[in-house]
Amino acid sequence: MINPRKIFSKIYDQYIDKIYRFIFLKVSSQEIAQDLTSETFLRGWESFKSGNKIENPQAFLYQIARNLVTDHYREKGKTRIVSADYVKITDPRTNLEEKAILNSDLDTVRLALTNLKEDYQNVIVWHYLDDLSISEVAKMLDKSEPAVRVQLHRALKALKNEFK
Amino acid sequence: MTESDLVKKIQELKKIRPSQDWTVLIKSQILGQEPKVLFFPFFKPVLATVTAFGILFGIFSLAQNSLPGDFLYSVKKITEKGQAVFVSEEELPKYNLKIANKRLEELTKIAETNQGKKLASAIEEYQASIATAAENLVKIREPEKALDVGKKIVELKMFEEEIKSLGVVVETEVLEEEYEIATCRIVGEELGILEKSTLTEKQGKLLPEIKEDYQGGNCNKALEKLLLSQY
Repeated sequence: MINPRKIFSKIYDQYIDKIYRFIFLKVSSQEIAQDLTSETFLRGWESFKSGNKIENPQAFLYQIARNLVTDHYREKGKTRIVSADYVKITDPRTNLEEKAILNSDLDTVRLALTNLKEDYQNVIVWHYLDDLSISEVAKMLDKSEPAVRVQLHRALKALKNEFK
Repeated sequence: MTESDLVKKIQELKKIRPSQDWTVLIKSQILGQEPKVLFFPFFKPVLATVTAFGILFGIFSLAQNSLPGDFLYSVKKITEKGQAVFVSEEELPKYNLKIANKRLEELTKIAETNQGKKLASAIEEYQASIATAAENLVKIREPEKALDVGKKIVELKMFEEEIKSLGVVVETEVLEEEYEIATCRIVGEELGILEKSTLTEKQGKLLPEIKEDYQGGNCNKALEKLLLSQY
């Protein structure tokens, strides 16, 4: 007998890091990333256990995550932030000096990535960070593989310009 | 910089990961406990179940006092979302304002105890709760409920003034704006009903004033007079 809890548990283990990272790179806040990530999987689980057929769990979860981030920014846009601290990426290493240098490098790349338009961010994250093939990215975006290759090329070019 | 250097830099971002403890906790919250098939002796699984519930209850209780930035804060948020499922549509605006009030209390606590690292998260949480409350004001249907909600908003604004003295400024005009729109809608609907009805003496006296306030855009005042005219 199929146990949906066991199956979704595997899906959770497989994608939790990727979804968290995907969201964190867009919202730059550990708290918000945790909230939106848990909401993503909660919604994913609700859909899964109610018997909806999910052909591509990865694409499904990414879509939920994208929608939640969009909603988050829509809500944020309605209110004005008057004071906010810049949130640094936390790193598991304990050496403080190493941590400081690494955080600085990571932050530079992260900031450069967040300056790109969303489509470019997404293809870079999916292909280079989440190791999705061109074919998988194309399926997620409902585009042809050549179109994705072109977009990836333009995205990298745009990212390179951010470092100038 | 070559493309290969750029890709190496991008791949450094793979180091971004959620904490293992948080990952495990959220999984248990979302998926819950796996139901076990009992054979014998039944008191062992009963003890295990009671212990599990005890631990979960402990976690939930601890989570209620957590603040933005704390490890158990997402547990607190999930609990609130679970409770919201039982709130009716008409009560949702008031419930959302209660949550916004909670967020503001958390923000005040953080500001009062100088927890600078948590301040940005707390401000974001408060503003997100205000945006949710504002969105749901459209669900208010009755004048009495509108007045109730109006009082809650006034209380929130008072607390916001208090934390200003601690150096924290939050601006949430969207809530007042949406409330005015909701109030105008309700007053407009009630005026439509009144004009087709037989009025009491009090209603007859107040109706021109209510109309004047409404047409001048002062719907809060119009709402108060509307409610006054009904008693």
